[in-house]
Amino acid sequence: MARKFGEYIAYRVILAIFVILGVITVVFFVSRVVPSDPAGLWVGAHPTKEAIEKAREELHLNEPLIKQYFYYLSSLLHGDLGVSIRTHNPVAQDLKSAFTATFELILVSEFIAVIIGIILGVYSAVKKDSWLDNLSRILAISGVSLPTFWFGMILQLIFFKYLGILPLAGRVDSVVILEHPLKTITGFYLLDSLITGNIPVFIDALKHLILPAITLAMYPIGLITRQVRSMMIEVLQENYIRTAWAYGIPPKKVYFKYALKNAIAPALITVGLSFAYTLIGAFLVELIFNWPGLGRYAAYSILSMDYPAILGVTIIAAVAYVFINLFVDLIQVYLDPRIEL
Amino acid sequence: MKKIVVRLFLMTLLVFGVIASGCIGGETTSTKQSTETSSSTTKTQVSNVVIYGYDSEMITLDPSIEFSNSIVTLANVYECLVKYTDKGLEPWLATSWESNDDGTEWIFHLREGVKFHTGNELTAEDVKWSVERTIRMGMGPAFIWDPVESIEVLDKYTIKFKLKYPANLPLIASSAYGAYIMDSKFLSQIGDDDAISNYLNKGHDAGTGPYMIAKYDPKTEIVFKKFDEYWGGWEENQFDTAIIKIIPDPALREQMVTSGEIHIAKSLPLDDIPQLQQNPDIVIKEEPSFRVLYGMLNTKKPPLNNKLVRKALSYATPYEDIVEYVLGGHGYVAKGPIPKGMMGYFEDLPTYTYDIEKAKQLLAEAGYPNGGLKLLLTYTQGDEAEGKVAELLKAEWQKLGIEVEIRPMNWEQQWALARSDPENAQDILLFYWWPTYPTPYDYLFNMFHCEEETLFNLCYYCNPEFDSLIDQAAVLEASDPQKAEQLYRQAIELLIDDAPAIFFYSPNYIYAIHKSVKGFKAYPAYPEVVFFYELRKA
Repeated sequence: MARKFGEYIAYRVILAIFVILGVITVVFFVSRVVPSDPAGLWVGAHPTKEAIEKAREELHLNEPLIKQYFYYLSSLLHGDLGVSIRTHNPVAQDLKSAFTATFELILVSEFIAVIIGIILGVYSAVKKDSWLDNLSRILAISGVSLPTFWFGMILQLIFFKYLGILPLAGRVDSVVILEHPLKTITGFYLLDSLITGNIPVFIDALKHLILPAITLAMYPIGLITRQVRSMMIEVLQENYIRTAWAYGIPPKKVYFKYALKNAIAPALITVGLSFAYTLIGAFLVELIFNWPGLGRYAAYSILSMDYPAILGVTIIAAVAYVFINLFVDLIQVYLDPRIEL
Repeated sequence: MKKIVVRLFLMTLLVFGVIASGCIGGETTSTKQSTETSSSTTKTQVSNVVIYGYDSEMITLDPSIEFSNSIVTLANVYECLVKYTDKGLEPWLATSWESNDDGTEWIFHLREGVKFHTGNELTAEDVKWSVERTIRMGMGPAFIWDPVESIEVLDKYTIKFKLKYPANLPLIASSAYGAYIMDSKFLSQIGDDDAISNYLNKGHDAGTGPYMIAKYDPKTEIVFKKFDEYWGGWEENQFDTAIIKIIPDPALREQMVTSGEIHIAKSLPLDDIPQLQQNPDIVIKEEPSFRVLYGMLNTKKPPLNNKLVRKALSYATPYEDIVEYVLGGHGYVAKGPIPKGMMGYFEDLPTYTYDIEKAKQLLAEAGYPNGGLKLLLTYTQGDEAEGKVAELLKAEWQKLGIEVEIRPMNWEQQWALARSDPENAQDILLFYWWPTYPTPYDYLFNMFHCEEETLFNLCYYCNPEFDSLIDQAAVLEASDPQKAEQLYRQAIELLIDDAPAIFFYSPNYIYAIHKSVKGFKAYPAYPEVVFFYELRKA
């Protein structure tokens, strides 16, 4: 088993390298074939001809595209993602800060989604067609169909403007972090502030996270609830559940231990994929909550045709998709021994 | 089950941690600097803070290179020799200056006792070093110093510039880009020009300005601390700490300034301005800008190579309606190519006004009595104002039988198209111009001087008479301003008659100021900069 497991992972990783290489190639050529002038962007608003010519030299823009492609690949092999044409920062540095910001947000929102989605899903299956089921159906459908930016603004209105209990936007309050400077260890504010015992920043960062995390969680909550519910309804009619009832096992244990285990696999796939999707698809949520994340970075990079940055974001997204898929597959094996690798 | 959920969650976290550090791990050390500077100032008491909500991220922090919006940071930590205000040129780091008769030699007398943030004293050597570094690096704004032939330090506080040709050097020295004075003793220890650049871009500064950068996070916020030994001194009710907060969404900026979370916000949604003006917590400040919106007409391609057609379009543009509808009245109809507040703006200049009958007549004269023309108009994608102008033009020109195809493009693409063969390029291109430093020559030379290879002359206009007029005027700007102004006027009148561009409007900058802050003043020569030193607690 162990050897097979190792072989399988190696096989998937090798496959992933080809997938990612393919994605890089396509994105590189597409983003470079579109008529644009990276040198113009590099030098600023009102450059001189000499400055543009110099920038062309520096960025190797005068050389054939295929040569530039190999330049890019070879520096990529050295772990260098290049320098962003728009921000003049190394792409890796830009991505790191954007990625940690987004990732912290997604982790919290998926956590909320999994907990709420599973509980709602299980109980609406158990109490099928009750008021609870109907309520969760309304919640799930609105979660999937409401525009996230609208929902986010409504939350801002209620919790910031009318109730005044939660902050409007941002990751942390400027003044709080100024009074209690935070040492960066992982880049996740919650984790860093906990490790360093910086409680005021922890509380403030948590407060800032609640609204965007709930906004972002609405969509996966809807999906998970519906999927868990339909699978649970099926599973609850199985013979082994009837046996469990006959043994007099307490209901909570039957639902959450015996039934859910068989019902959860599709929901987990949903979680995994929505994870990858929100990584760069959360642009609108990031915009209204002023979250300095990957979505915003990707959108601005695309708008200004900043190809090293576009490629950087693409690589992150591709790596995330590939590994999340692998991860979801492994989880399924772990949960359901009948599935073979 | 709870156990499984928790375990799943932890595993996910782990795997992602590995991915994150694996694919972007190479850079962990370089990003740390920005935060280390802040953690070194542990537990600072923040007694008073002013926060400016700004819409774009910072780019570079090297004064020799920066040619974009990071001047909102630079202008608070560095200073130029001269400041351009609504009263004209005023002393900044230089207290006075003089030139020889033909304006080829300039002497600046520096303010004495000015300290850099490092504690070093400002001397003429610093000025020489800063300007020479900018020229040597030859990046973005370096061209402003093109007239300079050599720089000579006369004594500790006196410096002489020898020029290759006459130029208005104090005006150049007031530029918002490329004219900041740096601490040469300190920076030259860092290493070569690129090493200094890298050092500065990590969030350091080496200026004389009233504030120092305390924390630099170009995507979220820049925190400034006051510099105690600033030469201008400090008053009781000024701000110890200032923050530029990057907030790209205008609606969010609006909410934050009305709730007092930030104190100054720029470019709010125009539709909301009347409502904000009623808000007792907010003061709306409207300040003229040096930006002008142009419609560059392709003078190399039929039908716009015909002057009569270009004139017809100039007459068929509803100037007043555009200012009303697009800017909500927050701006004014352009009088020729140069904005108010600068040499070369003439209140009594005869310009085109909306006259559809005249336009029809001119079009008939040109041989298109019923129109039947098709024109391609491009503008910068995402620029709401340009988009609205395009829509209005399309509707209006339909009356002349002219069909306009509107194509929004991102700026780099649009510019690349305009710089390709004029025969295949757009017919009309909408774009803004603003000067590097406030001289009419910056507008007229860049957009309308003959060009062998197209750069910003996106109407491909070439008129030797016009060129010689503005070239003469530029030389005389400092030594004989009256004569220069007269020459500029001749050139501009020529330009208006040739109609290579439509001059739409100059928009105002609109700032919303929370009532807790007063003393705000905008300077069009330093676009979008909030000089925190001038602010007071209300």
